[in-house]
Amino acid sequence: MPKVIDVQNLVKKYGKLNAVNDISFSVNRGEVFGLLGENGAGKTTTLEIIEGLRKATRGKIIVLGHDIKSGTNKIKEKIGVELQSSAYYRFLNLKEILSLFGSFYQKSLDPTSLLKMVDLEDKAKSYVGNISGGQKQRFSIIASLINDPDIVFLDEPTTGLDPLARRHLWEIINKVKSQGKTIVLTTHYMEEAEVLCDRVAIMDKGKILTMGETHSLIEHLKKPYTISFKAERVNEKILTDLRKLGDVKKESGKTNAYEINLQTQKEVNGALESLFKIKPECLDVGRATLEDVFIELTGKNIEEEENNA
Amino acid sequence: MLKLFFADLKMLARNRQSLFWSLMFPLMFTAIFGLFFGRSNNIGGSIGLINKSNSEVAQNYQKALTEAKILEIKNYDDVNIAKKNLGKNQIGAVIEIPEGFGEKKPNAPTQIKIYEDVASTQVTALVTGFSEKFFTALNYQIQNVKPNFGYAEEKTNTKTLSYFDFVLAGVLGLALMNSSIIGISVSMSKYREDKILKRIMTTPVKTWKFVLAEVLSRLTINLVQVSIILTVGVFGFNAHIYGNLFILLLMALLGGVLFQLIGFVVASFSKTADAAEGMATAITIPMMFLAGVFFPIDALPKWLYSFVQYLPLAPLLRILRGVALEAKPIWDNPINLYIVFGWIIIMLILAISRFRLTEE
Repeated sequence: MPKVIDVQNLVKKYGKLNAVNDISFSVNRGEVFGLLGENGAGKTTTLEIIEGLRKATRGKIIVLGHDIKSGTNKIKEKIGVELQSSAYYRFLNLKEILSLFGSFYQKSLDPTSLLKMVDLEDKAKSYVGNISGGQKQRFSIIASLINDPDIVFLDEPTTGLDPLARRHLWEIINKVKSQGKTIVLTTHYMEEAEVLCDRVAIMDKGKILTMGETHSLIEHLKKPYTISFKAERVNEKILTDLRKLGDVKKESGKTNAYEINLQTQKEVNGALESLFKIKPECLDVGRATLEDVFIELTGKNIEEEENNA
Repeated sequence: MLKLFFADLKMLARNRQSLFWSLMFPLMFTAIFGLFFGRSNNIGGSIGLINKSNSEVAQNYQKALTEAKILEIKNYDDVNIAKKNLGKNQIGAVIEIPEGFGEKKPNAPTQIKIYEDVASTQVTALVTGFSEKFFTALNYQIQNVKPNFGYAEEKTNTKTLSYFDFVLAGVLGLALMNSSIIGISVSMSKYREDKILKRIMTTPVKTWKFVLAEVLSRLTINLVQVSIILTVGVFGFNAHIYGNLFILLLMALLGGVLFQLIGFVVASFSKTADAAEGMATAITIPMMFLAGVFFPIDALPKWLYSFVQYLPLAPLLRILRGVALEAKPIWDNPINLYIVFGWIIIMLILAISRFRLTEE
């Protein structure tokens, strides 16, 4: 597949701080590529350098065949950008904003049909201040599509949305993908990346820790199987038996709820045998998630980090 | 770019806060000063007149006093009521023409009586001056004498001008200053806070086009603003405009450009819209008083005047007043234009070097 973005040895320094520390990656045409990591990992900075909003300290970036240093304007014609928590004009209605932004490009799509695509056609005459958070986010996405771009950048598109609104947005992102556009998004929701992204790069402290197809990252985990259970009759003996097979974690919050990460099918069988003896009220055998990948790589839980930040 | 210009205009018209600063605030000043000083035509005060004589002299005196239009005349029948009102400062002096004054018979009274009030020396001076002149002329006429010496009067300023005319030109400058400095600095900071400027930067639109559309739309609003203030001032409160309207509007736009540049500089120094508003107010309010919107600043202490005469608003007001009130050509006193252009260049350099649509 042809590369639409190629980043090589990108470095961005703020004083002594390396916000982005020598990273390289590429994005293929038509895929959804996710940059994952906590706040401050360097995701947004990386994105904004590719979008031409910030200057790189070092490195070479080619977007759609143009070097970012010389071809910024040609690139801007062909990309659509949704910024993290950006607002739009307060005194223009949605339709007016779309047609104004459309006028900035050589070619632009019809505002009404874009509004229709995300079920906002009856809000065409509303101001941004008078629509809900989910509607705002949907509007923000179509605003980035106004020039019918080849690549769409979405910076944390679902942050702050309720679960229903988030799922609605996922559908929209899928719709955009099905139009053949390449999507680059950042998120700190692992579950979201797992649902949406063909490939992900996990970033931490300005570096890329790992990168690859979402499912193969999970498959290549050292312990790709997970059993979670809840049992009242759990005792130390059972736990000791289980610890011989894999990592046992007590699930935070719930009483008598545990999770075990295991390496092989044989270990899974052994663990299940032990567990049947204590008649668990609830038992779930499954594959590991992207979150487990993140924890294995960084040794920390991303949601916890978010809360501490 | 045209689309951006019209969008900017639309937003300005929909933004109540910006409309307040550009229209309501200056109109409020126009109305207040207009009500106090606007309608009277150089009348120095009012007097009470009690005329009990039907003689030709008495009637001529009253007629001349009325036609001189130097004072408003209120007629009374009872001298005591008039004197009471004088005590209450409702009138500045009382003239009593006694019964039989000026009649051609013996023992007829030959003097009128003027009751003065120490609080209104100006009215007193006008009344006594007028009466002196009137009776001297009358005496000469009766004695058939021609005066040997006299004086010829020549007014340097033949136009009728009032304090309100002075203030109205000041209010023009005030309106331009407030709407431009506060308007630009607050809206630009807000755009930056809301990341609208950053969002614009992700599109291929050129920065200069974005800024130019903003400036031009505001200059258009300035034209509307100045026209409305002038219309209300002239037709509502009898203000006088003697100069060329086109040049006046042109000079107003020059002021608009200068103040918008100051707005951009303020926006480049302030991190939030609130900070910008505070900073802009801290600049405009003192300038409103020190640059001579409401009173001539040459009355200020010399050390202060030597400084405030160079504030950006001060030379602009001198130009606006020169054009509006005295119909002087703008190059009559080019130093004012030089100061305005000097400020424009300074602010332009600051704005270009400091104002950014987005951080690096």
